[in-house]
Amino acid sequence: MPTKENGNARLKSRQSLGYFLLIPSTLLIIFISFVPLIYGVFLSFTNRHFLKPDQRDFIGLENYRNLFQDKEFFGVLSFSFQYTLTVVAVSFLVGFVLALLLNRDMKFRGIYRTLVLIPWVIPPVVAMTNFLWVLNDQIGIINTTLRALELIDKPILFIANPKITRLTVMMIGAWKNTPFMMVTILAGLQSIPNDMYEAAHIDGAGFWRSLWHLTLPMIKTVAFISTTLMFIWTFNNFENIWLLTRGGPNDATFTLPILSYYTAFYRSHVSYAAAIATTMMIVMLILSLVYLRLQFGPGERLEKKLRHGKPKQTAAPAP
Amino acid sequence: MSFTRKKKTVVSVLIHVFFIVFLFLYNLPTISMVGTALKGKQEAMSSTALIPLRPNFSAFSAVLRTNFIGNVLNSIIVSVTVCVFCIFLACLAGYAISRFRGKVFSAYSVLMLLLQMFPMMLMLIPLFLIYKALNLYNSPWSVIISYTCTNLPFSIWMLKGFFDSISFEIEEAAMIDGCSQMQTLRRIILPISMPGIATVGIFTFLNSWNEYTLASIFLRDQNIQTLTVGLQKFVMQNSNSWGEMMSAATIATIPTLIFLLFAQKYLISGLTAGSVKG
Repeated sequence: MPTKENGNARLKSRQSLGYFLLIPSTLLIIFISFVPLIYGVFLSFTNRHFLKPDQRDFIGLENYRNLFQDKEFFGVLSFSFQYTLTVVAVSFLVGFVLALLLNRDMKFRGIYRTLVLIPWVIPPVVAMTNFLWVLNDQIGIINTTLRALELIDKPILFIANPKITRLTVMMIGAWKNTPFMMVTILAGLQSIPNDMYEAAHIDGAGFWRSLWHLTLPMIKTVAFISTTLMFIWTFNNFENIWLLTRGGPNDATFTLPILSYYTAFYRSHVSYAAAIATTMMIVMLILSLVYLRLQFGPGERLEKKLRHGKPKQTAAPAP
Repeated sequence: MSFTRKKKTVVSVLIHVFFIVFLFLYNLPTISMVGTALKGKQEAMSSTALIPLRPNFSAFSAVLRTNFIGNVLNSIIVSVTVCVFCIFLACLAGYAISRFRGKVFSAYSVLMLLLQMFPMMLMLIPLFLIYKALNLYNSPWSVIISYTCTNLPFSIWMLKGFFDSISFEIEEAAMIDGCSQMQTLRRIILPISMPGIATVGIFTFLNSWNEYTLASIFLRDQNIQTLTVGLQKFVMQNSNSWGEMMSAATIATIPTLIFLLFAQKYLISGLTAGSVKG
């Protein structure tokens, strides 16, 4: 039997082993995430410019002052939110319907689920190249088919007409994210015990009533967390739009990440780009705090729900 | 009774019809990619068929003669290295925050959640300047280090969840038998956690394989560029040879589809990580 003191000593040495195990990943996260983060925020207070290498002065909030008077920035901010909200809403709705359909016992269920997941695993570069091909106005399969069926007489300019292109990028964003929504909602649905549905059925509840009074309340937490994560990922996403339109036509599909990238690497105004990225992070930070507060915070009701077999969700970032 | 049964059959037939039509349209870009790749160099532009009757591999062999294959090899090297680093670091840190109690450890797991929301754009510009200063710019290490770091929070969180589900008694039994804590981790915990490690490995591999933004900025020389950058360049340079473009795209997609077909269990458990625990 170890004495009490012995036990304490052992506990202490164990604690230090715990800290020791954290060292390698902490170092990596500090140098590759936190240092760049602080450096990025610092850059936003300077006048660094790639084309003027000796310009390295601290200019305080001037970049931000310019940013908040920049019409382009507010236009892009507004499109960013439109884009993100549409992508989240559409992918949630489609994912929810697919999950409901796949939650039934039926043949080929596994195959259907696999095929729904394809857009989510393929590389974005590939997906966007494929869309450039099928949406091509002259030889793309969508335009040629619609013309052969005489549904349209002029090709639809999916990636050349600014208004249509905005819709196109939103739909493609939703296309890419629907599998994630489907899988998480399906996991939520599968956690609902079947006898609850039977009980609802015996009480005379039809499909719509049990959907409204049983299914929706039961998947509320999962739905909430997965839409929040999706919101953040979509808001920060750069590749999906950039690879399709490069922000065009006429800058109609610029989002904040694209604006930041473009400002840094095409206009060479690196400090201004850092100010855009910092503003983005602040917006996201506020949203994350709300998210964390709702997940862990004083909302005890939610905590209790989580404990009562309600799925708690964290998920993998989309590749 | 027979009326409701009939209604049920009709509904299930309708659902199957829905899935067939939906999945065809939903995966049309991917189907069209494979179809166009198999049409060969000449026919890709002229024939309107979705999938050719007689597959022709001339476009594939044209792609194999370009330096795209070098890009594929670079991607394999980068992704595998990132996988190994990430699994190693995440096992250590995941074990620490799963088994040790204290403020540091609980703060660390919240930090892992927050880091998953980290905006990559804010990292990109400073990292570009830092790598330039450290002479890591235009070296495969720049992306290897960056990907390891961006994949680490999810991996740690995932493995922590797995370690949490292993009862401490197994470990205690091993320690009474004279194993040190590190030995228990290596001999007892890690073998049981293989599914978690596989999930982390698959996600890290896929994320590194698919990543474009960082690679497009950090890798300038053609001989070190990864396949996403190579493919994008290929698309820019051969903007009218759709046959070759679609063949290159198909080659880039194959590994991801293999994971989807043979490791779907792990993919789904990663996507819904934590959802089984209440």
